[in-house]
Amino acid sequence: MGKLWAVTKREYMERVRTKWFIIGTILGPVVFAAMLIGPAYLSLRSRASRDVGRIAILDATGAGLGERVARAVARPAGDTVRATAPASPPAPRVRVVAPAEMARAESVATAEVVRKETRGYLVLTAATLAGDSARYAGRNASSLRDVERLRTVVRQEVLAYRLGAAGLDSARVAQLTGPRLALTAESVTDKGRGGSGTATAIFAGGVAVLLYFTIFLYGQNVLRSVIEEKTTRVAEVVVSSVKPSTLLAGKVIGVGAVGLTQQFVWVLGTVYIGAQMAPILSRMAAESRGAAGLAPGSAVQQAAFAMPSVSAGMIVSLLLFFIFGYAFYSALFAAVGSTVNSETEAQQATAPILVLLIASSIVIQPVMFDSSSQLARTMSLLPFSSPIIMPLRMGMGSVPPWEVALSLGVLVLSCAGGIWVSARIYRTGLLMYGKRPTFGEMARWVGRAG
Amino acid sequence: MTTLAIDVRNVVKRYDEHVAVRDLTLAVPRGAVYGLLGPNGAGKTTTIRMILDIIAPDEGTIRLFGEAHTTERVLDRVGYLPEERGLYKKMQVRRVLRFLAELKGVPGAEAERRIDEWMERLSLKTPEKDWGLAKVDELSRGMQQKVQFIGTLIHDPDLVILDEPFSGLDPVNAQALKDTVVELRRRGKTVIFSTHLMDNAERLCDAVCIIARGEKVLDGLVSDVKRAHGGRHVALGLDGGTSNGVAGVLGDRALVARVDDQNRFLELELAPGASAQALLERLVGAGAQINRFELVQPSLHQIFLQKVGAVGVEAGMSGHG
Repeated sequence: MGKLWAVTKREYMERVRTKWFIIGTILGPVVFAAMLIGPAYLSLRSRASRDVGRIAILDATGAGLGERVARAVARPAGDTVRATAPASPPAPRVRVVAPAEMARAESVATAEVVRKETRGYLVLTAATLAGDSARYAGRNASSLRDVERLRTVVRQEVLAYRLGAAGLDSARVAQLTGPRLALTAESVTDKGRGGSGTATAIFAGGVAVLLYFTIFLYGQNVLRSVIEEKTTRVAEVVVSSVKPSTLLAGKVIGVGAVGLTQQFVWVLGTVYIGAQMAPILSRMAAESRGAAGLAPGSAVQQAAFAMPSVSAGMIVSLLLFFIFGYAFYSALFAAVGSTVNSETEAQQATAPILVLLIASSIVIQPVMFDSSSQLARTMSLLPFSSPIIMPLRMGMGSVPPWEVALSLGVLVLSCAGGIWVSARIYRTGLLMYGKRPTFGEMARWVGRAG
Repeated sequence: MTTLAIDVRNVVKRYDEHVAVRDLTLAVPRGAVYGLLGPNGAGKTTTIRMILDIIAPDEGTIRLFGEAHTTERVLDRVGYLPEERGLYKKMQVRRVLRFLAELKGVPGAEAERRIDEWMERLSLKTPEKDWGLAKVDELSRGMQQKVQFIGTLIHDPDLVILDEPFSGLDPVNAQALKDTVVELRRRGKTVIFSTHLMDNAERLCDAVCIIARGEKVLDGLVSDVKRAHGGRHVALGLDGGTSNGVAGVLGDRALVARVDDQNRFLELELAPGASAQALLERLVGAGAQINRFELVQPSLHQIFLQKVGAVGVEAGMSGHG
């Protein structure tokens, strides 16, 4: 026990002392917070820009639609005009054009865009009034938000015009076209309604990706540690004092403890920074709802601030899947590490393990689309992918307890088997130099007593 | 209480392609300096690794101080310096030593005290510079060898096993190693080392075992071994070189089994049944100008060549001694 402790302590302390660990641990939460907050921030900022006001409207409808659109573009946030709202876009210039002169007017407008006097121009014709088409050309034509804003405004104003033409009075038209619909999505599980659906998916996906990276990263750490001991030949001194299986166990536990330490700091740090940033974000969200009229992202933004519900059982099973998944993979990495003579050789030799690990990460996305598909159920049972896919499915919605139990059982058994086999390869491989063993030779090592 | 530090009986170790050690029996008395001699590929390292329970023998038993060699308590009394040496390059020297001490069950405070003692003794810690705070790869090769040395002895082992300890050592460190071996013996410790350098073995060892091709060729106290092979070796000094007649006498395999030209004299091994008297008569008869004719005790080197030369190193037995 004392020797296992000595090995574990060395692995842990030597890693925690490195500057990469310290930098990574401190920077992690900053990066995660940026990953959480960045998209929300961007979606807030990417509402229609003020550019929509800096355009020319070429109106050939003869019905004053251009003026109506210009007023609507310049109108701030529909019904809730707030003092704190950022400046609304300026009203676009409207040129009433005869249908026959449209071609010439367009070339003038194009020249203006080229000279950067305007950002673009909107062409409204009889076809627009008929509800068929309108055209926009401009430097911001690829800005989805700007074009979407123009489309919405034109559609609404055409609708309002046609309602007016059908005999409805203007107040009634404003009332009817007024509502701005926000669609919120909320996930429903067996336990009833819980958290926002989008947030749950993002959270579950984030957990799966995090599990994948940690298993990958710390499995590689175990691999490098084994190779270091082998190439520096310190392994022989060490195994003259401890059994190879103890050395292997200490290594896996020590490196795993480093991973848990780092994740613990990361989670605490991210929660702290998230808590600090939340008020700023909700203020930004409120401003955007006030200022941007139909901000298409607003539903998602609101949902993102509702913390997804995470139960204690979920956290415990996450921890179990991480521990056994990591132990499974790191034992495999250690076995491979003991059979190679250099890190370069290791890159080739670990390919089969990496294929298993990467295959698990590739199915994250399909499983996020449908967490109860046959693919999802299969991959959450296989031991090489279950540590990543089962937590993902559990995060996406409820998984029958028996499936979780079965998956964990298979994983634990495979883990025990993997460690047993790895320990035997490791024991022999550690003191073998020269040619890399074939699979047949490794199989014989496993079969041999000592 | 057995008087044997190492008791190896009928040990066999097979690998896929060859037998590394066959039916080896060794008895190393307590307090002795014991040499394990043999050419490369003879099975020395395999034997040592089996004694240390790094690899398991296929057959036979090994006991250390009368106990099974697999028990942790016994292995903690053994210090090992492998042929291929190495330390954790990126680790601080003191931490490496503390780790090695911990692996042998030395408590932290005691380890610290011994590290200081050893570091000062091998001048790795001076008032100007404490190399203990440096990383291993900042040390010169000679200094790393000293650190490795300390790591082998930090837990004050009763049995010290050194595999090819002299290979790669500079003369200063080689001398330090010899001094240490002598001092360990004075303190009643048992030292076993493998080597193919017979001079070192002859000077340091109380007893030796010569193995070749995984088999024991001979073993026993150095004095016994030499006496057993004594009286058959003649140191012959000749004035004016070797004439044809003399060369004919020396080439007579019924009389002389082996000639080893030592430059200033020839070391001859008499053929079985031949007598020194007959050889002298024949040489005088051939007109040799003899300035020295002496029955000598053979060097370990001679015995080694005589015993192993015939079997030699078998082709394909590469790898570890």
